[in-house]
Amino acid sequence: MITYDAIVIGSGITGGWAAKELTEKGLETLVIERGRNVEHRKDYITEHKPGWEFPLRNARLAVGTQGAEEYPIQARTGQFHESVKHFFIKDHRNPYVEDKPFTWIQGDQVGGKSLIWGRQVYRWSDLDFEANLRDGHGVDWPIRYADVAPWYSYVERFIGVSGEKLGLPQLPDGEFQPPMEMNAGEKFVKAGLERAFPDRRLTIGRVAILTQALNGRLPCHYCGPCERGCSTGSYFSSQASTLPAARATGRLTIVPDSVVHSLIYDAAKHRVTGVRVVDTTTKQTREYSGRLVFLCASTLATARVLLNSKSPSFPNGLANSSGVLGHYLMDHHFRVGASGGIEGLLDRYYQGNRPNGIYVPRFRNLGDDASRRGDYVRGFGYQGGASRQGWARGAGEPGFGVELKRTLHDPGRWSMGMTAFGECLPRADNYVELADQTDEFGIPVLRIHCTWGDNELAMRKDMAASAAEMLEAAGVKDVRTYDANREGGLGAEPGLGIHEMGTARMGRDPKTSALNAHNQAHDVPNLFVTDGACMASSSCVNPSITYMALTARACDYAVAESKRGNL
Amino acid sequence: MKRETISRRRALQRVALLLGGAISAPTVAGVFSTATRRAWAASPAWAPRTLSAAQLELVATLAEHIIPQTETPGARAAGVHRFVDTLLTDHYATAERDRFLAGLAGVDTQARSRHGKPFAESATEQQLALLRDLDAAAYAAGRGEDTWFFRRMKELTLVGYYTSEIGAMQELHVSPFGTYRGDIPYTAVGRAWA
Repeated sequence: MITYDAIVIGSGITGGWAAKELTEKGLETLVIERGRNVEHRKDYITEHKPGWEFPLRNARLAVGTQGAEEYPIQARTGQFHESVKHFFIKDHRNPYVEDKPFTWIQGDQVGGKSLIWGRQVYRWSDLDFEANLRDGHGVDWPIRYADVAPWYSYVERFIGVSGEKLGLPQLPDGEFQPPMEMNAGEKFVKAGLERAFPDRRLTIGRVAILTQALNGRLPCHYCGPCERGCSTGSYFSSQASTLPAARATGRLTIVPDSVVHSLIYDAAKHRVTGVRVVDTTTKQTREYSGRLVFLCASTLATARVLLNSKSPSFPNGLANSSGVLGHYLMDHHFRVGASGGIEGLLDRYYQGNRPNGIYVPRFRNLGDDASRRGDYVRGFGYQGGASRQGWARGAGEPGFGVELKRTLHDPGRWSMGMTAFGECLPRADNYVELADQTDEFGIPVLRIHCTWGDNELAMRKDMAASAAEMLEAAGVKDVRTYDANREGGLGAEPGLGIHEMGTARMGRDPKTSALNAHNQAHDVPNLFVTDGACMASSSCVNPSITYMALTARACDYAVAESKRGNL
Repeated sequence: MKRETISRRRALQRVALLLGGAISAPTVAGVFSTATRRAWAASPAWAPRTLSAAQLELVATLAEHIIPQTETPGARAAGVHRFVDTLLTDHYATAERDRFLAGLAGVDTQARSRHGKPFAESATEQQLALLRDLDAAAYAAGRGEDTWFFRRMKELTLVGYYTSEIGAMQELHVSPFGTYRGDIPYTAVGRAWA
């Protein structure tokens, strides 16, 4: 049997990065992917397809409708449409038990969720890395912004990020391509908001979409729905970016259709020696051996693999001498905010489908007295945008016939909406464990226990109220707040943010954390976890670029340690 | 060939050129298979799978009243009734489909009680009068549950029309690929994007 220099589990955002970094550093690398193969370009079967070619006109396939039968969980996200359903997992292929509502959105293909991700990329700051230490929730991060900053730059230069520099300490600037332009409605709200609140900013989204060519990838052509796949490689995905780089080294092997059952641990060597997989087509078990293992399966899948890797040395799951494995699960809480209409500007419009919105960086609990809140710790940011109403407004108003058709020939008034994304505290009682039942591949399924806590619920009130306050101050009319959260029900339940993280947290103390400052398992030197599972807190910004930076950084360390003979 | 179709095709060809021929086969097929989508839209072999012939005609009549032919084709020409049948057959849950069909029957019931004829056989002015009443009731404050059907019918008409090739390309227009201009005079565009 071949022994690979490295095995990477997962081919999504972090698995692709691990594959690129490890192969470029000379390691023969095997990438194991549970889903089917998806080839760049060839398998983007709905790209550029006009609406009328979809029998249901690209309908949202909601839970309980025909077309969503095999996706009762995936259909909970508003992103689940006719045009992209083939990039979501069929839920019977990875069932789980929800103690309370928890929505686990997953890809099931090479590239994982990197094909369908939101592409918003924001650096963490020391406000985030020091948060646990400062307020006592969770354990202190073993790293600070200075440790990650060069890796953010390294990642940004490769993936391509367009955005605007702001010079804000809580949202460090990066290596940006020129920003996309705001529309007239957004410029109006920006001017009014920044006038009323000089300490707050409204900026165009920082997004992993090119506005200039980069490494053979072309700038965005503004067709709109990135999540169908992009033949010009204009947004970052594993297919467009990291996997081609890894493949170019000649040291990459990818095996799709192979779900990991567990890691193989050699107690005498204190090392993982390989990976046990189940072929999802034949249901046969296979093993691969490797000198180094990177777990990049996505937060919950990674936790599941570790929990299911039991041995006499680790009866409660591999690398779990601390007992924290599976615990401190987090997600960003969202679907709360405000929207309203803008009067005038009817002589302004836009052209092209900009796959990006606006961003309002965090302005609460920044460490000074002015921004301190008494009712909650941590903070939130807003994503949103303005647009002119389209033909759909006609369904909400009286009128029909020639008059209606003439009215809808022109766009309607401007409207502006803002949705908050809030930080979630790390709590021990938000956790996953293995259930008694197994899936069709014979692997125990997860049971997930996760709810929003008092801090999140208190923050949500401010998330709605502040959105309304800013919009009104900016001159937006008919402002309405919303909060989709329903206690114990669906609406804004944990998981829906698709920023699930934690369960194998980094930390300084092996007794209270699973991973060290380099994403290396305290208990198993040749095991690294660099997906969202590693997170010790959640910040309020979209997490993917931090996962990428931590992955590249961990690969650099692992290869150096390997050369020193320490792994 | 319509002017809008040509400009869209030109835009797509520009993207294809940008790609240096790298654009995927299914993408090209998806964009250029005019024959395929015409076949789906109006094949003589097409037959409803949920609606009866009379129900299909009723949906087509209602839809055409909501979005009539003007200097551009209306809902009937755009195949809204076929789209509705497809949705009812392949997308709606049973309860929702039944509710829609009951609402459809209700329109005929009201037409019969007013003029002794099913809706489609009533005079155009009678049809429009009933629709005006349905529309007024559907958006009135304190409206009842029984007004659901008309709002849904209007919504389906708009979706079916403005996402059709006729609605998107002739009545409105589709933003050409290749550029984004965030803040331009409305006069440079002149109508809503589809």
